[in-house]
Amino acid sequence: MNAKMETSDACDLRFGQVGIACVRVRRLDAAALCEELERRVRSAPQLFSRAAVVLDLSHLLNLPDDGTVDALLEAVRSAGMLPVGLAYGTSATEALAQRMGLPLIAKFRAAYEPADGGSIAPPAPSAAPSAAEPAPASVPVREPVLSQPANTVGAQRHDGTLRSGQQVYARDRDLIVVGTVANAAEVIADGSIHVYGSLKGRAMAGAQGDTKARIFISDFRAELVAIAGHYRVFEQIPKDLEGQSVQCWLDGEKLLIAPLK
Amino acid sequence: MSAEIIVVTSGKGGVGKTTTSASLATGLAMSGKKVAVIDFDVGLRNLDLIMGCERRVVYDFVNVIQGEATIKQALIKDKRHENLYVLAASQTRDKDALTQEGVEKVLEELSKDGFDYVICDSPAGIEKGAHLAMYFADHAMVVVNPEVSSVRDSDRILGLLASKTRRAERGDGTVTQHLLLTRYNPSRVEQGEMLSVKDVEEILGINVIGVIPESENVLAASNSGVPVILDENSNAGHAYRDTVARLLGETRPMRFLDAPKKGFFQRVFGG
Repeated sequence: MNAKMETSDACDLRFGQVGIACVRVRRLDAAALCEELERRVRSAPQLFSRAAVVLDLSHLLNLPDDGTVDALLEAVRSAGMLPVGLAYGTSATEALAQRMGLPLIAKFRAAYEPADGGSIAPPAPSAAPSAAEPAPASVPVREPVLSQPANTVGAQRHDGTLRSGQQVYARDRDLIVVGTVANAAEVIADGSIHVYGSLKGRAMAGAQGDTKARIFISDFRAELVAIAGHYRVFEQIPKDLEGQSVQCWLDGEKLLIAPLK
Repeated sequence: MSAEIIVVTSGKGGVGKTTTSASLATGLAMSGKKVAVIDFDVGLRNLDLIMGCERRVVYDFVNVIQGEATIKQALIKDKRHENLYVLAASQTRDKDALTQEGVEKVLEELSKDGFDYVICDSPAGIEKGAHLAMYFADHAMVVVNPEVSSVRDSDRILGLLASKTRRAERGDGTVTQHLLLTRYNPSRVEQGEMLSVKDVEEILGINVIGVIPESENVLAASNSGVPVILDENSNAGHAYRDTVARLLGETRPMRFLDAPKKGFFQRVFGG
């Protein structure tokens, strides 16, 4: 009552933080997306029915065309959620958002940004030069985005044997294993992988596509090694590599392995 | 022409399901059939070891079900038989990664690809993995050891086959049930330490399609990644060949049911 009487402005404009769900699209399959979301809505209707969501296309290799994005948005709607914007801020996404008439919601959890994005985060390429730009859009940022040194993210370390069926994933960073990776165990990292012990199972570096990632192994007996999706399977371990300290790297499309001298 | 789906199941663990799946699949492939054998034991995969293709697994059953790989990418061609393929289980997931729709889709695709037989190697137990392995089956090979707990568990499985399968739910005939007695040791049966073929048939009320004698060769074959059916020198291998022939409609007499008669030297010096 009071507010109405006292102010002459037609409205107040305020920034506030609201929780909003983010639909991270992994494949361009509108039907599957709709089905998946419908299942979520059914499992927790209170939470998800008519929930505002932001569509995040950053995990796709290429930005889909307008028609496909329309289909994805329609899939979200028919599942019972309300898409209110697109997430993340490359200039291509921004142009797309403009054509769709949707707001571009800057990256969530901005406080984590400098820590994650410093080294190898996938959306970095065009976000980096314009890093200052998306910040004022909607999310209040408490710390200045670029104030932290970029190299504070250490590697993730695992001590001890990884047994068959166990899996360790180092998101956005390197992985160091001090111990043995048994047959049918898996070590995965978005960055590089170091195994100080035997690698008898699988190692997958550059899981988000970083072709510069490498794998270092002090006792090579691997079933499979992969970097950025290029893999090699070892039905027989090459005699010149078996039990050796080796490193694996990507030369173009080719996955190379050589003993460490 | 659709693929015949055979589930190899038992309820109890360690009775020889995977050994049987590997030998059955290999035997059918040796008879010229196009065969796929699928490991449903997600989280404890073994079939690839018994089939000797564990170092060639790139994509697995769960990858296919979750749309991360095509069935063609995941099928591993057997080294010895070109019409035999293995679909390995995932070791890093659990059985919840399997879905009924996913399994159905994989089986349909195999059918479309011209497979004559799909062997589903069930995990032990009666939980989700075992349920999904048997759900779409046309035939069931129930593996049983000649001892009471195994027979009891098999009885339970036979009950589930008659009620918890697609055929049962649709009233679309029944799943053909075959009983396979494994680890049979005739001398211990003679001494009354083990149930006989007749005992097991009586308790369960169905006839056996094969009796596989206990044999050291099974362990040796497993460890070297060669299905025991390929071992010409073992009775177990021959018994599996007979079983496959019976499954394909041949009539063959049961062998290896009697304890070997001890020869003169064995009688003198002790066996």
